[in-house]
Amino acid sequence: FQATGADQAVGFGLVGFSLLLFTYYTIWVIVLPFVDSDHVIHSYFLPREYSVILPGVAALILLLCVGTFIGVVTWKNRKPKKID
Amino acid sequence: MTKLLEWLLGCSLIGMAWGLVTFDLLDLQLPPQYRELAWPMPVYLLVVFGCYSLATVGYRVATFNDCEDAAKELQAQIKEAKADLKKKGLKM
Repeated sequence: FQATGADQAVGFGLVGFSLLLFTYYTIWVIVLPFVDSDHVIHSYFLPREYSVILPGVAALILLLCVGTFIGVVTWKNRKPKKID
Repeated sequence: MTKLLEWLLGCSLIGMAWGLVTFDLLDLQLPPQYRELAWPMPVYLLVVFGCYSLATVGYRVATFNDCEDAAKELQAQIKEAKADLKKKGLKM
């Protein structure tokens, strides 16, 4: 049996998104330094510092989400101590 | 040498090479474009690795074949297990 409907949509969506991200980021980091600074393509990209700051911020947000999730689940599962 | 040591050695060698180029510790005076290219390298490699992981997961989700029979069997087993546990007193 073939994978169906939603599975394929989500799966190929992820593939497409990561390809887009890879292409944009590769042009930003690897191609732009070798392009003349007055070429029009530079207007589509933020200053170079952001190519390091933005992934850093994204990683921090991800860590925050994971930590919050763990905290919420731990809090929900706390049980009162038994009195013997 | 253990695998961990191999990886640590490899990573530290690459890290040192990157540090030398980025902070110009040997006064190699590379052309400015190559220095511009070098300093985001660690973050760039991480992002590329992340993209590769995401694409692999997505592709395998999209191409994982449905198993109708196994799904039906699993649903039946879940019902059976729920009924059995309810009988034994577990609250659902």
